[in-house]
Amino acid sequence: MKAPFSPYLNEIRDPLKKLIDILSGTYAYVSVLSTDSRGFAIRVSQHVRTVEGRTMTTERGTVVRVYRDGLYSEYAFNELDPERISEKAEEIRTALDAQLKLLAQTGTAVYETPPLPDEPLTLLSEMETGSLPEDADFDALIADLAGVSDAACAAGPDVIECQVAAQSTHICKMFFTKQRDLRQSYVYSEAVLAAVAVKDGRSEMAHEGVSGRIGPELFFELSGKVAETVQAAEEMLTAERVEPGEYDIITSPEVTGLIAHEAFGHGVEMDMFVKGRALGADYIGRRVGSDLVTMHEGALCAENVTSYAFDDEGTPAGDVTEIDRGILKTGICDAISAARLGVQPTGNGKRENFEHKVYTRMTNTLFDSGTSSLEEMIASVSHGFLLKGMQSGMEDPKHWGIQCMIERGYEIRDGKLTGRVMAPILMTGYVPDLLGSVSMVSADRQVFGNGGCGKGHKEWVKVADGGPVLKAKARLG
Amino acid sequence: MLERIKKLLIESEADAWELTETLTEGWEFYFIRHRLDQNRAKKVRHIRVRVYRTTDGRKTIGSASEEIPPTATDTEAEDMIRQLVKRASYVKNPYYTLNAPSGGPLAPAEGKTPDLSSLAEDYLSAVREIEETEDAYLNSCEIFVRVNHVHFLNSEGIDITDVRPDSTLELVVNAKDASGEIELYRLRDAGVCDKEALKASVAEVMRFGRDRLRAQPMPKLKKADVVFSTAEIREICGFFAGRMSASYKVRGYSDWEIGQPLGEGDVHVSLEALAELPNSSHNALCDAEGARIHDTVMLRDGVPQAFLGNRQFSAGLGLKDSFIPGNYRMSGGAADEEEICAGDYLEAVDFSDFQADPLSGSIGGGGGPPYWHHGGEVTPVTGGSISGNMLTLMRSMKMTKELTRYDNMEVPQRIRLSGMSVTGIA
Repeated sequence: MKAPFSPYLNEIRDPLKKLIDILSGTYAYVSVLSTDSRGFAIRVSQHVRTVEGRTMTTERGTVVRVYRDGLYSEYAFNELDPERISEKAEEIRTALDAQLKLLAQTGTAVYETPPLPDEPLTLLSEMETGSLPEDADFDALIADLAGVSDAACAAGPDVIECQVAAQSTHICKMFFTKQRDLRQSYVYSEAVLAAVAVKDGRSEMAHEGVSGRIGPELFFELSGKVAETVQAAEEMLTAERVEPGEYDIITSPEVTGLIAHEAFGHGVEMDMFVKGRALGADYIGRRVGSDLVTMHEGALCAENVTSYAFDDEGTPAGDVTEIDRGILKTGICDAISAARLGVQPTGNGKRENFEHKVYTRMTNTLFDSGTSSLEEMIASVSHGFLLKGMQSGMEDPKHWGIQCMIERGYEIRDGKLTGRVMAPILMTGYVPDLLGSVSMVSADRQVFGNGGCGKGHKEWVKVADGGPVLKAKARLG
Repeated sequence: MLERIKKLLIESEADAWELTETLTEGWEFYFIRHRLDQNRAKKVRHIRVRVYRTTDGRKTIGSASEEIPPTATDTEAEDMIRQLVKRASYVKNPYYTLNAPSGGPLAPAEGKTPDLSSLAEDYLSAVREIEETEDAYLNSCEIFVRVNHVHFLNSEGIDITDVRPDSTLELVVNAKDASGEIELYRLRDAGVCDKEALKASVAEVMRFGRDRLRAQPMPKLKKADVVFSTAEIREICGFFAGRMSASYKVRGYSDWEIGQPLGEGDVHVSLEALAELPNSSHNALCDAEGARIHDTVMLRDGVPQAFLGNRQFSAGLGLKDSFIPGNYRMSGGAADEEEICAGDYLEAVDFSDFQADPLSGSIGGGGGPPYWHHGGEVTPVTGGSISGNMLTLMRSMKMTKELTRYDNMEVPQRIRLSGMSVTGIA
């Protein structure tokens, strides 16, 4: 079925177009982004169950962007009377003028920016989904997710709890300017189970997830992850700490995705180029990885949680080759940064929600596949670790430092897994060294869309990342 | 709108309900160096509803929540509440009751709530007055000021209104010399702008930046004592707060027991939940469920005194007068700075990522410009990381008597953890 576009947004289309007409009398450029995204989150564990009508992306509101005298300004609101559009326009002008008055008093200079192009484009995208979150059978879903939690607790002798979190959101957004009239509707869902094992005063948690641009029917895939998750939690109870040092590493696809995200995901967000905060700006056309490293980024690269038709500035979704056989080709860019840098936007202008500013943000960030197998990689390692389970990561685009917190590492000696497990593992390194050390790449590839990504320590958005299994070298601690 | 929703809730089949309206007006300013990148304003109203249904003769209770848009029609709002009631009936948790009025009426503190313009002006002038030099300067910053009007009601008769300002400042500071350029990042939350604290913070981060330019590769120490002196201490405080939360206790994640000394008596930390901390962005009359917040000792000299948490988890532990804490004070240190900083140690400052997991106790991070104090020499180092486990490290943890504040946490100025794992490169 197709995910139907929001009737509410259709109702306010004409009033918002009128708002653009009125504001265009004052400003040289006016755009409107309106959102009506509803969804739910279910959490089930052995001790508590909750149902919330809120996910990371549920929202209903509008943000207006205006441009005058080289400056972009925005006003966000979620109360709108279609009969009183003139008053809303006046509210917007009054608020922004009050800010400009204060800025003038403080002698603030403007970072002058060219006006955004406004080429004609009309689009209504209602993407395919198996079902809609608004039609979900909560009784059945809660029972199924409780079954996953129960199965996990029964599967491991030391598992005392298993939290299951599942959420589904129906995204509806529309974007207007004088020339653009874009509407999109799609559904994405994700679910995670986290098994907690406790023994001899030690507590460890392992988790696995599923995600996709489909409806709540996705949740039924979670039961297939129980055995692997429980085994990981049990293994971590007896895990040792890794001896700090540099090792050969083999990264499972979720760890590969974490590296993609932190290494040349954040590192080529071009709003950072504008601020002089990214070393990548000086490396376009230069080698940053081995010949085996090719990386793509874009909403069109995969069908997952952030595979939209257009971004929050009305730029159509893209597929950018960031690294081609080790050579950094280009970055990703929001519309205002593109205007400042004199390049084309790539469809990566995203907001946390309508209340937040647009930044250049990732969508699907993926390493391309190669030709090797996991078995070949393990056989080639004299002493190293097979890394599985991602916890978190941190980028440093200015210095190309990378830091990844990884759930667990399986020791390899003389081409064989020894059975020893290390947990957790902090992987650090210098991005070109890490990517330059990639010596084998597997033929398969996976994409993961659980969790979110911040800009600095805020502005959380959905992203997906992934790739094949990689063999490389890194510092572990 | 609020009265309309309240009427719909009373008329619904909900056995109990909570209703929170938050009207937020905010101004935002984004700068590249000292030039204005963008200005933004917002006025948004969020109305959140939670309905409860009891089942099995009041042996179980379930809830479901949703935000009802202020643009919702009566029909739409009524339908949403009907759906919530249905969803809540599928959720079966052990029965508990909602918070009820207690201890007299709560009213906002007296005094004029600052307006957005004056809140913003304080930040704009503070940023303008930052003392920059050729080798250390502001790369970019983002200023957020907000005034939040909160109105909480529930079916038990709680009706509380509160008005609070809060603010956020993101700063990116660069330092450069002939060898290159580096940047450091800080994100500060607060009630309102504290100019002097802000200036001190910027001066400190610029000093770290200049030092990092001459940083040497982190030695392969394997093990070292680590002294924390910046915001990483919040994570350590969060570790203790997490393990003293009612949710951790109910789920079996915390094996700490009331009255049982931690670490066989080797741990001497104290932890309090506080109703108010000066200029905290977490100050509030009540928690998100309407529970009155009052100063409460959670840990005293390493001995658990009180778990705290939301109504559901607190009921699971049979707790009275519990609430969701917003502010914390971590104390109990007996050392002075000289004692904390004796001998060889790694001083961890401004790590870009640092975490302490209350469940496993894992603690670790890197990415900052730490200092290696060795044989009386101080060398800024870079390229390494530290890790360990708080469940063992807390037994040898030393803290200064003197406290400092990071928004909603008052914590020791310095903490020393002995024998952490250190990954170096030289």
